[in-house]
Order: sequence, then C-alpha cells, then structure tokens
Amino acid sequence: MTGIPAADPTVVPAPTSTHAGTESEDLGAPLYVAWQITNECNLACLHCIEESGPGKAFPDELDRDQVFNVLRQLVDLDVPYLSFSGGEPMLHPLFFEMVEYVCSKGGQLKVETNGHYLKPEQCARLSDLGVKAVQVSLDGASSLTFNRIRVRGEFDRVIDGVRNLHRAGVPIEINFSPTHFNVEEISAAVDLAFELGAYSFYTGRTMYTGNAVKTWRRLTPSEPQYDAFFAVLHAKTEEYRGRMRVHFHESGLLEELRYRLQHPAALLIVLPNGLVKLINALPFICGDLRLQSLQEVWANFQRAWQDPRVAQFIDDLAADPGKTRTLHKWVYL
Amino acid sequence: MQLAKFVKFREEKFGGVLFETRSEKVFTLNPTATAVMREIKAGGDQQAIAARLKSRFTDPSGAIEREVVAFIADLRQRGLVED
Repeated sequence: MTGIPAADPTVVPAPTSTHAGTESEDLGAPLYVAWQITNECNLACLHCIEESGPGKAFPDELDRDQVFNVLRQLVDLDVPYLSFSGGEPMLHPLFFEMVEYVCSKGGQLKVETNGHYLKPEQCARLSDLGVKAVQVSLDGASSLTFNRIRVRGEFDRVIDGVRNLHRAGVPIEINFSPTHFNVEEISAAVDLAFELGAYSFYTGRTMYTGNAVKTWRRLTPSEPQYDAFFAVLHAKTEEYRGRMRVHFHESGLLEELRYRLQHPAALLIVLPNGLVKLINALPFICGDLRLQSLQEVWANFQRAWQDPRVAQFIDDLAADPGKTRTLHKWVYL
Repeated sequence: MQLAKFVKFREEKFGGVLFETRSEKVFTLNPTATAVMREIKAGGDQQAIAARLKSRFTDPSGAIEREVVAFIADLRQRGLVED
C-alpha cells in the first residue's frame, strides 16, 4: 500500500503497513541480492543448476577491487538482504572478508553452502560476524541418498558441520532437492533438520536445467512421487508449526514465471563475473556490474521485465518445458 | 523500543518498507507509518514517540496518539519491533 503523502500536516492518514511480497515496482533499489560469488565447487552434484564443480570457476570472476566496489554499492543503496552462494561460496578466497564487510555495515546476510567447510572455528567466526543464517543443502536423511546426488559429497561431514553451526548459535536453514531416489526420505529429512536445530526447511521441484539436463532420466521424481512428497510436506508443515518453518513450492516453474512476469520480485541475481540475471530460471541478463553501477542495473532490471522477449520465452516454455536447458545461453536485454 | 533483530527498514519515495528477513516478508509503509518508523529508529518508548509526532502536527482530536499506539501494537504483534 502506498498511502497519500501527508503534505498538509493537519491531514495525517493513519499509519498503515501492508504485507506486500517483494515486488520491485516503485522501489529505489533491490530488497534482496542473491550473489553467486564463485562457480568453483568441491562437489559436482547431479542436479546443479549452475553446473558448478571442481575447476569450474568462471575465468572472469570479479577481482578484489570489483567485489568490494559492488559491496560498497550494496551498502550505499541500503539493500537490506543479501545472500552469498555459488558454487561453494566458502571456497572464495575473500569469503570471510566479504561476510565481515556486509555484517559490519548492518546488512543481513545468508550464506548458502554445501556444508563441507563448517568446522567449529569457521562456525564460530560466522556467529561472531553475525550472519543472519546459513543455509545448508541436505538432500537426504542418509549417506546412501545424499552421497548419490552430491557427487564427492560426504553426508557425515555435513551433519557434523550443521551441528557445529548449531553449537555456535548460527541460525540454520536446510535446503532439500528432490530426486526419485530420495523423495521417500522427505519425512525423515524434515525430522533430521529439526533435530539438527534448523529454523527453516526449504524444498520444491527440481529444475530441468544445468547438470539436471544430462541426468534427468535417472534423477527426476515421477508425478505420483511428487504427490506423495508434497502430501508429506503439508503434514510436516502442521507438525512443526511454531517450531520450524517448512517452506515449499508446489507449483511448477511455469506458474512461478508467469506470476513473476506480472509481479517481478525486488531481487537481483548476481553471477560470479558481475553479470546480473533477471531471475535464475530465465536466461536474460539485465546488467553488468563491471561496467555499470548497481543503480543503473536496477533501473534496467525494471525495464527488462517489460521486454517482449521475456514474455515470449515464458510462453514458449509452456509449449516446450525442455527450453530450460538453454538457461546458460545468456540473452542480453 | 527498537526494530526486531531480523528486521530492516528503508525509506522509499512512497514511504518505506520493512523487511523481515527470517520469514522474507516485506511490508510497505505509507508516509505516516514511515514517520513512525523513523521515530522508532531514533529511539525512545511508545509515549516519547507519540509525543514527538504530536508536536509536529495539529491534532485537536488526539487521533495521532491513538493511531500511533495502534500501529505500534500491530508492529509488535507481527514481531517487527521489540523492547
């Protein structure tokens, strides 16, 4: 709700607040910036949207000066919420410096990690710096399923890492990607997340893009499996209400994109090389933070959603869901 | 009174926004609500905030105090401010 400005001090509209989602219209800057700080990763997950892995860092990832130039702009524009992901963000050589910078300036930061670098000293440091949350990917309640999807992954190491986070007092979120071989573990996975001390559990349909394009046939759950999966999640939402938030997207990608076309979220996705995407599930680039200011990119982001190529891509997706395989063929708007 | 730990406030041309980053909920504020938030950030209890706002506006009916109290109660109920 955007009330009438109280130009006349004798006519004061009552103060109101309205829960509004995170739509971008009329905002002077993004509310949320999701920054994939590197594409390097110690794992090579079957479903990885970014096709990250060992030796997969982009050759043109932002250097120190460019990184801190972006961070300064995020602070100057008072962007309230930021996440660092990857790849594996904790492999970035400047990771802790970046965390320290954001947190020292009052930013709310979430770190999205595969949980393999959460030793007690790292967790204590994240706690001392005041990160808002650490989100750990935990796609299963057993090493058998987890290690199958997270190639090179070590389930027990991740569990130890999450326990270290909990002991250090860092708020924990758990993220779960469904496959046909782990969906039956969803109930146990939610229970495990709670037992580990998580305050939120996130999941949704696995996307047909990135590595999943190559592994789809041995990866994707069937529709009956998804039905059972979401039924469990509905029950778990009630079971943990008031204790842990169970958050999931039941609708498919197409519904989400059609909604976002009408209601763009105030969210920028920053790639490791400074390019900025409209939304992760579309191939469109709306700016380059090596060449443009964050303010310029934000202005272009709002215009870019109106570009007819965006609506056309989403329409085409209805006819050919496999079009998501082209998400890494960037289209500059 | 202060903003809750995971809440951020930012002023906008139309007023302002409150972002509760744990639940990732955003609340848009009209200019009057933004003025109240500004005072909350400046510090003080509910009475002090209401008094400061009253001093800026002509308010023979006493509506400002009632509305500020109701608004702060709403913020408190949503977990957006704390003592």
